Amino acid sequence: MNRPPMLMHLRFKDGKKKFGLWLPLFLLIPIALVVYIILSPLILLATIVLWPTGWGKVALLAPWYAWNVFCATRGLDVDVQGPREIVKIAFI
Amino acid sequence: MTDNQKKILEMLAEKKISTDEAYRLLNVLGSEEGGQRETPGVQAGTITKPKYLRVTVTPKEGADSEHADRVNVRVPMSLVRAGIKLTSLIPKDATDKVNDALREKGINFDVRNIKPEDIEELINALGELEVDVESGHGEKVKVFVEY
Repeated sequence: MNRPPMLMHLRFKDGKKKFGLWLPLFLLIPIALVVYIILSPLILLATIVLWPTGWGKVALLAPWYAWNVFCATRGLDVDVQGPREIVKIAFI
Repeated sequence: MTDNQKKILEMLAEKKISTDEAYRLLNVLGSEEGGQRETPGVQAGTITKPKYLRVTVTPKEGADSEHADRVNVRVPMSLVRAGIKLTSLIPKDATDKVNDALREKGINFDVRNIKPEDIEELINALGELEVDVESGHGEKVKVFVEY
């Protein structure tokens, strides 16, 4: 598995309006972990309730898959520059 | 350039063969020597895995930069891999719906057949992907793989 991205760089420009942000993802990971631990009884409950419908597996494994997708975003770079607009999203 | 290619070009210069014949001969030669030629992702006998899928749109050279669109997207192959793996999460009922929707669009494909070993094969096959489109306005669209 890849290392998770440490930073997220966002930059938007629309005419004269500009917005840029360096998001320190490495600081958000412990917060997400705490939220996950708090929500884990609910996830377990949802898994048990939804198991007969087939969605229980989704509820159980979704956090793990979401973590994998998050780790895989390292290196993703979207840079679109129009005549007046700029959109840049980078996971570093 | 190989000796055979030189000979074909010499024959063309001496007008012993037509342009079409030279083109055909060069193509045949290319396909025969294709196995010997270095292919993308293969360096000194070792196969390197594709790392990024790149999509770029560049405006016409010399175009006014204030009125031109530029796109530069780099998608890690690991993200493609993780995305495909998500299909294993889809419950059977939902998979049937996806398959039905695909069939309605004329795509006879069962998403349940996607297996981890197929993903690697698919990603390695993507290594040979190269799309190069130039629009009438001079904009260039490129889709390729980076190693």
